[in-house]
Amino acid sequence: MALFEARGIQKRFGARVVLENISLAIEAGTVHGIMGPNGAGKTTCFHVLTGHHPPDAGSILFDGNDITGLKPHVIARMGVSRSFQMMNLFDDAVVIENVMLALPAFRAVSGSPLRETFGDRHLVDLALTVLDQVGLAGRAWEKAKDLSYGDRRALEIAVALAAEPRILFLDEPTAGLGAQATQNLIRLIQKLRQHYTICVIEHDMRFLFELADTISVVHWGQVIVEGTPAGLKANKWVARSALGEVA
Amino acid sequence: MAAMLEVTALEKVYTKGVLNRTPTFRLTADFGIERPAVVGMMGPNGSGKTTLFELITGSNAPTSGEVKVLGRNIHRVRTDQRDRLAIHYHQSYQVRHFRSWMPNAMMQPAGSDYPMVHLFDEPQFNTQDGYIGFMLDFFRRLRAEGRLVFLCVHPNEKFHLEILQEICEQFIFVQKGVVTSIPDFDALMAFEPARSYLGGLLADRAA
Repeated sequence: MALFEARGIQKRFGARVVLENISLAIEAGTVHGIMGPNGAGKTTCFHVLTGHHPPDAGSILFDGNDITGLKPHVIARMGVSRSFQMMNLFDDAVVIENVMLALPAFRAVSGSPLRETFGDRHLVDLALTVLDQVGLAGRAWEKAKDLSYGDRRALEIAVALAAEPRILFLDEPTAGLGAQATQNLIRLIQKLRQHYTICVIEHDMRFLFELADTISVVHWGQVIVEGTPAGLKANKWVARSALGEVA
Repeated sequence: MAAMLEVTALEKVYTKGVLNRTPTFRLTADFGIERPAVVGMMGPNGSGKTTLFELITGSNAPTSGEVKVLGRNIHRVRTDQRDRLAIHYHQSYQVRHFRSWMPNAMMQPAGSDYPMVHLFDEPQFNTQDGYIGFMLDFFRRLRAEGRLVFLCVHPNEKFHLEILQEICEQFIFVQKGVVTSIPDFDALMAFEPARSYLGGLLADRAA
């Protein structure tokens, strides 16, 4: 049984049908890619899968439980974590604070001032462990706004990981990143895949071809094709475009 | 079993105004498609392609004649279910507006959960990425699942003709409101109005 599954998802905004029919299954321990051209409905798909928009039809299953229509924070507590396409960090806080605020253990003692929490060695260690996973443990006490764009992306992932997810959704993680930062991100996701099931929504085909085990291609609000990177790359038109032969 | 699509004595006339009934544009069509297929549609701008798509999806009412999808008159199907029979994709997104004077309760249900006829209005075939191949695979899958696919392309590059040749079994050519059915790609290439419309692209092909 797949860890995460969407069946026949439809989403409308008034007369505009953004998702017509999205069905996909993500097996535990895999990296699944959702890719599509601009305007295909990828980000809406992401919002619906992670519970930020309820679907108008269809259902979403996580670990066999129907989570359709549940509030985003309920879904998050069940183990579905997500990053955001828009940078979503506390800039004036230090790196470790951003992570601590997202720790379930921190939420359990919420109400106490952060200063006291820093005194809680256990919470600090937990946050450092999370930061270590994304390679930022050494920069824990720097202000978030002083990080490079690529490191901020890694910190966003750390914030998502702090919630102790079983599946991690990343929305266009390469957006705004240069070639070197993208390569670093590929290495980071390859490391994280040893511990998490990951779903990456991405426009960049090459990025997903390098990372994903399985890919759903979304267009016109539907999964138009699905397969492995090798299978998709074998498509005549993909091969031609990569070689710059289509003209 | 009913034909996938029957367009019978269909006519849409646009006039100058409510009082001045001088026709400004007239579209006529009469054709049928029995079985699932991928049908290419082309014709000059302003020839009536999008109007024909709207008449098939039931978002535009005909002046006379009828459109039947799997035996159901699309203009008598509940407005909130018409897109379960025929769906019009405007480039990359879908907008559905349906108006009818008759209340939905007095009309027929669509009888389908997923559209039977898919009309793709000039999809963006971008040369930079490989999505063309995935789109063509999607059209093939729809056809294999028993759907009817219309692909409207305004060919202005050689690879557009290649796409049409690869994927379309038959064609519809629309010019000045006249709709002509053409059985296959070779017949399309031999059809004089299509040759003159494609002009320069054909010269390139011969070269």
